[in-house]
Amino acid sequence: MKLAFVVQRYGAGIAGGSEAHCRDLAERLSPRHDITVLTTCAKDYVTWENAFPAGPSTENGVRVLRFPVARQRRIKVFADLSDEVFDGGAPPDRQQEWFRENGPDTPGLLDHLRAHGRDYDLVLFWTYRYFQSYFGLPLVADRAVLIPTAEEDPAIDLDVLLEFFDKPAGYVFLTPEERELVSSRALHPLRHSVVAGIGLEPVPPGVTSRAPIDRLGIPADYLLYLGRVDRNKGCDALLENFQEYASTRTDVTLVLAGPAKMQIPGHPQIRALGYVPDDVRSALLAHARALVVPSWYESLSIVLLEAWNYGVPALVNGRCKVLAGQVTRANGGLYYMFPAEFDEAADYLLTRRAERDAMGRQGLAYIDREYRWPTVIARVESLLDEVYRRTSRAPRQSVSPAGAGVS
Amino acid sequence: MALGADARVPVDAVITELHGRVRERLRAQVLASGGSLEFEDPALFADVEALLHAAAGTPDSAKLILPELLGEPDTWRLTTSMRYQSHRSKGPASLLIFLKRQILMPMFRWLYEYSRDNFERQRRTNQVLFACVQELALETALLRRELRRQSRDPK
Repeated sequence: MKLAFVVQRYGAGIAGGSEAHCRDLAERLSPRHDITVLTTCAKDYVTWENAFPAGPSTENGVRVLRFPVARQRRIKVFADLSDEVFDGGAPPDRQQEWFRENGPDTPGLLDHLRAHGRDYDLVLFWTYRYFQSYFGLPLVADRAVLIPTAEEDPAIDLDVLLEFFDKPAGYVFLTPEERELVSSRALHPLRHSVVAGIGLEPVPPGVTSRAPIDRLGIPADYLLYLGRVDRNKGCDALLENFQEYASTRTDVTLVLAGPAKMQIPGHPQIRALGYVPDDVRSALLAHARALVVPSWYESLSIVLLEAWNYGVPALVNGRCKVLAGQVTRANGGLYYMFPAEFDEAADYLLTRRAERDAMGRQGLAYIDREYRWPTVIARVESLLDEVYRRTSRAPRQSVSPAGAGVS
Repeated sequence: MALGADARVPVDAVITELHGRVRERLRAQVLASGGSLEFEDPALFADVEALLHAAAGTPDSAKLILPELLGEPDTWRLTTSMRYQSHRSKGPASLLIFLKRQILMPMFRWLYEYSRDNFERQRRTNQVLFACVQELALETALLRRELRRQSRDPK
């Protein structure tokens, strides 16, 4: 099949879950399909500043076509508009404006879809919340497959999405909770869909060396938070919960590994390492007593899967349906709803070694069952085949440019 | 009791056990701080806690009855976003809005964001309270229905 993959950013150095998912699938599907990645010249997901040269290139065997971003994101205008539309009751034109301000505003990419969208058998779009999906998908709706990466954040409640979520010919979801969420926000039952997730390579056999974290003086009993240290990720609540917990347990350390986007309190049992190199990251994951995921909003949580890949259990925020669902399905850890439950669950994982190890093993078994690349690729291929078979029998046409916006 | 190397640990059972411990600790604290003596009955406390727990877990997007009955949202709902408006005619209004947006807002953004975050917390608390009232109203309605049924069918 001739496929287009539309994504907000693309490249080996790009951090970001949906971007990595797109790249992984593009590289793994490219031996069997003719794939073109349609993306922007942006590298920074906050400003969308053009950083890559526009035009065609080939990266890891995948054809990439980059379009310049016409306008960088106006952070304050976007913040005010977000407040306005998430407050509820904003008219459709203001909600559509939110998608435009969110960016990356890439008119050339839309022009390409208008002119050449029908040349592709299917067009896959990553992440519903960005400009290229919201305005691009309706142009090729009859052959569009959406990978929404939706979370239970305020954006999902925008009224204009009811109609938008009716448009794609197929869906690829990361978890059953995400499918349920998007289904509940569409006017009609979704057409074809699959819960595919992402794939992980098995950890190389043998014990991962502890030396990189010994050099940093990381003690044996530690809980690990891995990722951006940010209020939006629930880190403020985690730090409060942990400090309360640490007042009764002086032998436990919370290790934060990731760039800090908020003030981290000075505390003898909190170690903030900032960005860490791969060997330290692997050692931290392999030797943690548990990984903590305090986020309220997740469409998957790749880091949770990575912890299970190392046989390490997780302690997650139960108010996030995806995290609680993943942990329950995997039997791979515990979830908490409020501080007292955090204390009990942390204590359980730190003091009950046999149970902790069993939960880690159960998490690893879940990864082996659900999240290895051959399994994931087979699910995606089967969905693409089904959508192509069904839509190629139906009369296909692009939507006129006037229909690009969703009213 | 030690677990075998291949033993399975069911997460749901562990969470139920932990939840029970947390509940007992909370009950002891409520009693120690002068809470109702009715809470000496652990089963009663568990029933009350379960009801409030369900209400507290209500998502922000859940449709509730009470807010609908309060009338126009503009008359009661906390508005956390900034609206730039002026009642003056078009020319002066544009100037004032420009000044508010470009001069005053950047100066006071920290104060605006501080207030907005607190209003957001209050909005969330209101949603939970609305959900609690709804749960209690439902329980009351069911009990009334049951009482009426029993009074019609005395054994």
